[in-house]
Amino acid sequence: MSLEQYKDRNVGEQNYYMVDIEDYPTTGWGKFTRVVKRTFSGELFVGLWVVLREMIKFDIHTVSYPQEKLPIGPRYRAVHKLLRLWESGYERCIGCGLCEKICISDCIRMDTKIDENSRKEVTEYTINFGRCIFCGYCAEVCPELAIVHGGRYENASEQRAHFVLKDDMLTPMDLLTQQQEYPGFGAVIPGTDKSVKKTPLAY
Amino acid sequence: MSKINITNFTIDGRSVTANHGETILNVARREGIYIPTMCYIEKTTPCASCRLCSVEAVGVDGFVLSCNTPPTEGIEIVTNSDSLQTERTNIMKLYDVNHPLECGVCDKSGECDLQNKTLEFDVSQQNFTARDQERSIENWGLINYNPSLCILCEKCTHVCNEVIGDDAIDLQFGGYKSKVVPKDSDILDCTFCGECIAVCPVGALVSSEFQYSANAWELSKIPATCAHCSAGCSLEYEVKTVGAATAGQSEIMRVTNNFEFTSLCGAGRFGFDFDKRDVKDVNEFNKAIEKFKSANAIKFTSMVTNEEAMILNALKEKLGLKLFNEEARNYQKFMRAYSKVSGKLHHSATLDAVKQSDAAIVIGSRISTDNPGVRYALTTASRHNGAKVIYLHPMEDALMQNVVTQMIRYEVGTEEGVLALIAKALLTEADLDETSQNFLNSLDDGYLCAESNVGEEELEMIQKSLRRTKNRVIILGNDVINHDRAENIARIAALIEEYTDFSLLIVPSEVNTLGVSLICDLDEETSVNSVVGYNAKADYTVASFGEADLNVAALNQQEGTFVSVDNQVLPTNVAIAYEGYTLNEIAGALGVEAEYSIDYTPQLPQTSGFKATAFDDLENFLTHDGKDVRGYILDNVNREKSVKFEQIADLPEFNGTVIYSSNPVLQFNPYTADAKQLESDISLRGSAQFAAAARIADGDEVEIQTSLSSVIRVFKLDAELKGTVALNPNFDLGLERTLGSYRYEIAKINRVSN
Ligand code: SF4
Ligand code: SF4
Ligand code: SF4
Ligand code: SF4
Ligand code: SF4
Ligand code: FES
Repeated sequence: MSLEQYKDRNVGEQNYYMVDIEDYPTTGWGKFTRVVKRTFSGELFVGLWVVLREMIKFDIHTVSYPQEKLPIGPRYRAVHKLLRLWESGYERCIGCGLCEKICISDCIRMDTKIDENSRKEVTEYTINFGRCIFCGYCAEVCPELAIVHGGRYENASEQRAHFVLKDDMLTPMDLLTQQQEYPGFGAVIPGTDKSVKKTPLAY
Repeated sequence: MSKINITNFTIDGRSVTANHGETILNVARREGIYIPTMCYIEKTTPCASCRLCSVEAVGVDGFVLSCNTPPTEGIEIVTNSDSLQTERTNIMKLYDVNHPLECGVCDKSGECDLQNKTLEFDVSQQNFTARDQERSIENWGLINYNPSLCILCEKCTHVCNEVIGDDAIDLQFGGYKSKVVPKDSDILDCTFCGECIAVCPVGALVSSEFQYSANAWELSKIPATCAHCSAGCSLEYEVKTVGAATAGQSEIMRVTNNFEFTSLCGAGRFGFDFDKRDVKDVNEFNKAIEKFKSANAIKFTSMVTNEEAMILNALKEKLGLKLFNEEARNYQKFMRAYSKVSGKLHHSATLDAVKQSDAAIVIGSRISTDNPGVRYALTTASRHNGAKVIYLHPMEDALMQNVVTQMIRYEVGTEEGVLALIAKALLTEADLDETSQNFLNSLDDGYLCAESNVGEEELEMIQKSLRRTKNRVIILGNDVINHDRAENIARIAALIEEYTDFSLLIVPSEVNTLGVSLICDLDEETSVNSVVGYNAKADYTVASFGEADLNVAALNQQEGTFVSVDNQVLPTNVAIAYEGYTLNEIAGALGVEAEYSIDYTPQLPQTSGFKATAFDDLENFLTHDGKDVRGYILDNVNREKSVKFEQIADLPEFNGTVIYSSNPVLQFNPYTADAKQLESDISLRGSAQFAAAARIADGDEVEIQTSLSSVIRVFKLDAELKGTVALNPNFDLGLERTLGSYRYEIAKINRVSN
């Protein structure tokens, strides 16, 4: 599936047109004729014919869920992911706590400490999905593009605690190459490169 | 105040007046006129390094620094103009050059002056160029220093020198390479009060334990009073829920203070994790109730709130028990004798009076470790008023070296004689009543001088150095309060207070000794059986520290009040909730009922000066201009006078090896001993002379035997000490700690052979 339609955020220039809908009948006679027309129009058979036709063609589009899953649109706000840096594999999250602060349902909690290199280390990061309203504020506020909404939309599990720990959300090291840059809510807006200015530094 | 001392001028067209010594900034702040500052700190002399406080004066070329300029009569000050705005914006631009963009992780973020002012002056980009410097983060024990974040405001060096007195850090200048360095040393060797961390406006100096563990905005601030010594410092416990993947529990992350006006020592700042965790154990509780019912006495220490003291006293009456607390009883005895001569219940001086003094005499206390609050007040007086500090003690105190102007080493045990000699020296011209005059006349100066080792010349020097001083205080400590001759000493002290312009500060040894002594009817400790201990070891022990039979809430887990050395009743609050039993619940089961401990606050005895104010009506903060409105000051209480003196007793001699019960810096009691950040040095520290006398060497394990107890410690040679008295700590002894006896003891020191 192409992401074109999602990336194009300029709604104003798209070709909208008015759908031609008949006016609703207002008189009793008008309503009566509409019922009769719908009842005998044979549209039921149109549907049956489509099913039959596709059956004969053996070109079936049905996705065999759950073995197969359709990709979800990047604007959809599903269960969160914590991303890593591409080259080094370091965790992107710097532990600034902004997501924790902005979270409208107060469901993010994190523990941080100083590590042996005098850097801030996030030792645990949890989201209580029983309370999360999937508003996307956390992804939007994150200065490091570290917390994002992933594509995982199935929230059913035997344990409420599933997929809420840092380990569940963080890209595993061995899957680093498959990590996708997040294109949806809270991602860098197109053209960011152009607005970045260089700080004058003498070396 | 006389007219001469008042200057009339205008700020932004408003007529204002400055008192003597006030700067333009002081007046502006008092009047609520905003002038931005970056390096100003109220409790030190102006650092004058940021120039942000520049203002214009009509008729004067260029800008004037409002923080260190006193106004002249009639001058017109303008605090805001286009050129000032440009000047200030440029200053902020310079501060921001190459400043690391690490607010995201910085501890200071959210309460950072640089962040605030950068936003205020809308500096959104850097248009200057500067070479980036290689600067490494330094670890100085409890403190981490990041020179890249440092803006060289000099606040840290100013407080360290002018308020604390350690003078341990310095600014090393070198253009963009400038940084703060430990003075004359590679590593920071100081008393670790942490004041430099508190005053640092950016994240350059931070607590290494706290660093990166929480953000400023997640912490709940609990206003409280320090539970370690009687200075009653105001502090805030900053609490947060930790454990993201667990049920989470509340923990104190750090302690902060209103550093603009007040100071904390390192015990208050870093020794906060003494809270007790326990659940309700009904069986043990019932057992405790039985023990109380069958007890003959309750023994307790002064590590209690006024409300707890009140409950214990009520239990005494209800159950007909005796109430033992030798240390508070000694204080009580001392103060009663004092009242007989002075006619007042409370001593007259406060820590503020010490700060403002220009002459201070300290007798009978190793004050820098006994009460850091007094030490800082003396440092402030010395630095800001050039105060003469006369320090009388058998042992030199290296920490007071920069402050003390005259050190007089008297012989151990001769405090009574020493104070009598001082009284005589100070009262030469006083118009005394007959009894007092006779008493002074009867003194055998020759004998006293010889035995106490205080020379005539030394006394003359005291007289001389006090000559042109105006605000004087005399500070008495633990050694005189717990002296055998305490009562006569108290009378002499009262005499000095009465007939000279000296005010008197009597420093209680434990956090709430003063409160306990005003509330409880204490009995002389005798050996009886079935004694219940409250925060003290006894046949059955209830305590908030150590191995107790029943645990109770520690002092940072309770609502209640303390009485500080300032005679101020100070409220403290619950930082960490306690799940177990409290004294109030025990008392409830024994028929002394109240819903909460703080129900006793308005019932504190008014005969002792307490007010009938409910706990919830007590304030606990400092106003924006630094006025301390915490709690209330005890009312003056007049007592009947009956001036009578005893002859000075023969001065005792302490020959051979003597130990002095004294804790190292930042250590006071079992709470501080529990605090994981505080260094815990439990060695016996003595001079080479002591080592020779005791025939021991550095590093030896020795048994210290006194008439009362015996303890094994490692001996450490301390080059800063002299004489044959060694320092023996007691903070680590937990419930076994004995208080309330004279702090010097002749001891037998034996090397433990193994
Ligand atoms: S999506 Fe919204 S509610 Fe959920 S964790 Fe993020 S900020 Fe909180
Ligand atoms: S906002 Fe981003 S970088 Fe900051 S703590 Fe949250 S996930 Fe980490
Ligand atoms: S010192 Fe202040 S401005 Fe600098 S990184 Fe820390 S919070 Fe940001
Ligand atoms: S911790 Fe205290 S004594 Fe040590 S450098 Fe800082 S201000 Fe000075
Ligand atoms: S360390 Fe902090 S207080 Fe000290 S000079 Fe630097 S910025 Fe100022
Ligand atoms: S506040 Fe006056 S120079 Fe900094």
